[in-house]
Amino acid sequence: MSRLNVLLAGVGGQGLITLASVMAKAGVIEGTKVLVAETHGLSQRGGSVEVHVRFGRVESPLIPPGGAHVVVALEAIEALRSLKYMNHSTLVLVNRRVIRPNLPGVKAPSLEEILEELGKAGVKVLDIPATDLAIRAGSSLAANMVMLGALLATGALDGYISRGGVEKVLETMPPRWRRVNLEALRLGYGALRETEA
Amino acid sequence: MVLLGNEAIARGAIEAGIGWASAYPGTPSTEIVEALHRVAKQLGIHVEWSTNEKVAFEAAYAAAMAGVRSLTAMKHVGVNVAADPLMTSAYTGVEEGFVIVTADDPGMWSSQNEQDNRWYGLHAFIPVFEPYSPTEAKDLAREVFEFSSRMKHPAFLRTTTRVSHTRGPVTLSEPRKPLATGSFRKQPERWTIVPAHARVLRRRMLERWEKIGEEVERFPFNRVERHGTEVAVIASGIAYGHVIDALEELGVRDQVTVLKLATTVPAPRKLILDVLSSHKRVLVVEELEPIIEWEAKRIAYEERLDTEIHGKDYVPRVGELTLHRVASAIAEYLGLGGVPWRPVDHEPKVKPPPRPPTLCPGCPHRGLFYALRRAVNRAGVKPIYSGDIGCYSLAVLPPFRMQDTMIEMGGSVGLANGFAHVDREKIPVATIGDSTFFHAGIPGLINAVYNRSPMLVVVLDNRVTAMTGHQPHPGTGFYPTGEPAPVVSIENVARGVGIEYVETVDPFNLEETEKAVQGALDHIRRTGKPAVVVSKRACTLLVDAAARRKGVEAPLYTVDQDKCTGCGICYNAFSCPAISPINGGKAAIDPTLCTGCGVCVQVCPHDAIVLERPGDPEWEKLWF
Ligand SMILES: Cc1ncc(C[n+]2csc(CCOP(=O)(O)OP(=O)(O)O)c2C)c(N)n1
Repeated sequence: MSRLNVLLAGVGGQGLITLASVMAKAGVIEGTKVLVAETHGLSQRGGSVEVHVRFGRVESPLIPPGGAHVVVALEAIEALRSLKYMNHSTLVLVNRRVIRPNLPGVKAPSLEEILEELGKAGVKVLDIPATDLAIRAGSSLAANMVMLGALLATGALDGYISRGGVEKVLETMPPRWRRVNLEALRLGYGALRETEA
Repeated sequence: MVLLGNEAIARGAIEAGIGWASAYPGTPSTEIVEALHRVAKQLGIHVEWSTNEKVAFEAAYAAAMAGVRSLTAMKHVGVNVAADPLMTSAYTGVEEGFVIVTADDPGMWSSQNEQDNRWYGLHAFIPVFEPYSPTEAKDLAREVFEFSSRMKHPAFLRTTTRVSHTRGPVTLSEPRKPLATGSFRKQPERWTIVPAHARVLRRRMLERWEKIGEEVERFPFNRVERHGTEVAVIASGIAYGHVIDALEELGVRDQVTVLKLATTVPAPRKLILDVLSSHKRVLVVEELEPIIEWEAKRIAYEERLDTEIHGKDYVPRVGELTLHRVASAIAEYLGLGGVPWRPVDHEPKVKPPPRPPTLCPGCPHRGLFYALRRAVNRAGVKPIYSGDIGCYSLAVLPPFRMQDTMIEMGGSVGLANGFAHVDREKIPVATIGDSTFFHAGIPGLINAVYNRSPMLVVVLDNRVTAMTGHQPHPGTGFYPTGEPAPVVSIENVARGVGIEYVETVDPFNLEETEKAVQGALDHIRRTGKPAVVVSKRACTLLVDAAARRKGVEAPLYTVDQDKCTGCGICYNAFSCPAISPINGGKAAIDPTLCTGCGVCVQVCPHDAIVLERPGDPEWEKLWF
């Protein structure tokens, strides 16, 4: 087994740390080493958040620029901000959601503009209506699990963690969240299959 | 299992059998004592949030004097607050293990500076131990307690953001039985540092320091991974993780010797000498200051070695180390022609707009700053907004820009005392949080009374220490377990020290808040004495969480699109993140973000914001 670098990007409060910690726990279940580097503190107040998840033979918790195998963005502007981590074979999963930064007079780019830029950058982009699907699963906060479902469906995590391992972790959550998250995971898994078809 | 670095440290302390932990929160250290709070009852040990780092340090120090293994934890700048007792603690030593966790913040992710607290180890004669990962943090924490107990000497466990806030696999071991009570043995010649005693104690301390220097040579967490005799890298703390991965990625892991150090102060002299004398070239990779590098150069000089030693001429001194920065440094040092990663070569035309953290929707600080500015303008006062550290620091950003200075916790009141007397054109307006007021604000307030400083102190009392994750404090009224606690009233403190004008306001009521601030400014102008306004409303995040847990619905507001003129006051000047411009600049409220505070209704000059759905009657009762 070698190494897999997954960069998670989004906005404080979107559940990035939960997403990363589900991946790490699945790693323990499946005997894969996982390191997760998080940003706490200020970033909780609606700012940009980056979480580095590294699988396999790793000792440093940080993904180098150009070193991400996968970028998962829970918000589209943050996918664009993560461009520096991408290389030509990076797979980018983007939630079809733009959250306007809370600064007076700021103009947010549209989803189409962002997807076009990512396309021009030459990376492989899959856009997923994760927030919509999460609402269908029971809560907009479950967009993180929709994205994880989609990521599992791409096969990018094969050999590191599996859908079964992730489900085992979600089974340990409090009942209300367990149901919503498992459903979100399932919808995300299915959504990717449709996108690819 | 998977643990956060800080949780791993807490676990190590439990395995070492601690009976006491006291701390003041501060990123990136907070989760250590938070984790201990969760198990304190079950283990029968004492865990507390203290009012500040000095008190936390002293209380834990006393526990160790009385024979109870103790831990105190703080962010790097917290050690400055605790520095007075710290500097003398090595003179007296302790009876049982006493570990001070200093969580440094290279890169300043959430701090005002990136001081390297290994200096404190050198300065105070306290050994410094550094884990490189969560996995190692647990075992090292345990071992450092043993070390401190054996030496009867305090010890630093130094982490950095990337160790404290990294999650990784940890294997648990059997804990030692905790001992929460001890017995203080009177020994004035040891515990009272009058000069006659201190002179003796200093010599003894230096003898212990010698012994500690010998012990670290055998410390099990240091090791040499030997490959050849050409090049060696010395790496401490997290730098070791970066170095290993960098050597792997550069394909030279089997050509370079690595000396991994977990004991950085004092550095293990023989181990370093061994590596220096068996290699032609040595690169020291350490975060921030060149502490080991200088030590290595000193050793080389004293031993007349001609080994080439490099460090900060290749490895950045500013900011945190990353795999990328370390790999770049090593590649340059070895002449390898760069790192193996190739970022996409694309300059996007559409730039991502900046997204700094902001005050949350429904944050009581927003109403306060809005009303404060209006009151100051109405009164025709030229203010100096003497700012402080907490969520309200975010008012430094547009649209408020109401933090003209911001240095350290409690600094708002201290600086205001100076401005009040030297810049007579203006009135200093100190804004300080409730937790910060208890931490370091009170002496400055007393000074303002005694030295007659004409200044306004606004205490933004959101009932908790919000910035660091909602730890309770002496004004909150409950402990982390939720059990009720005595309440220290900020208003009573202010009146008690002699402030004549003390008003409490609800920052969700803009008119009331404005009036109280105007009254305070009048008082200051009339009497030349300081005044205090306490802005009291709990942190919305806590109330929101409680409402969700209990299934209580908050009120919901909406914009009447016919009345809205698109003036932008609500989303620009007031800047609630729940309100955004839609077609033509008209405002829209995102119902998933609105917390029901209702302040925007008072802000809108066109009465365009209306109640869509009233909240449950229970909702009002959730505010504390
Ligand atoms: C000496 C020191 N200790 C701890 C911290 C970490 N810290 C930053 S802000 C803050 C507390 C803020 O609480 P409060 O004053 O109540 O303001 P709030 O965030 O609730 O608005 C703390 C503990 C620090 N910056 N400096």
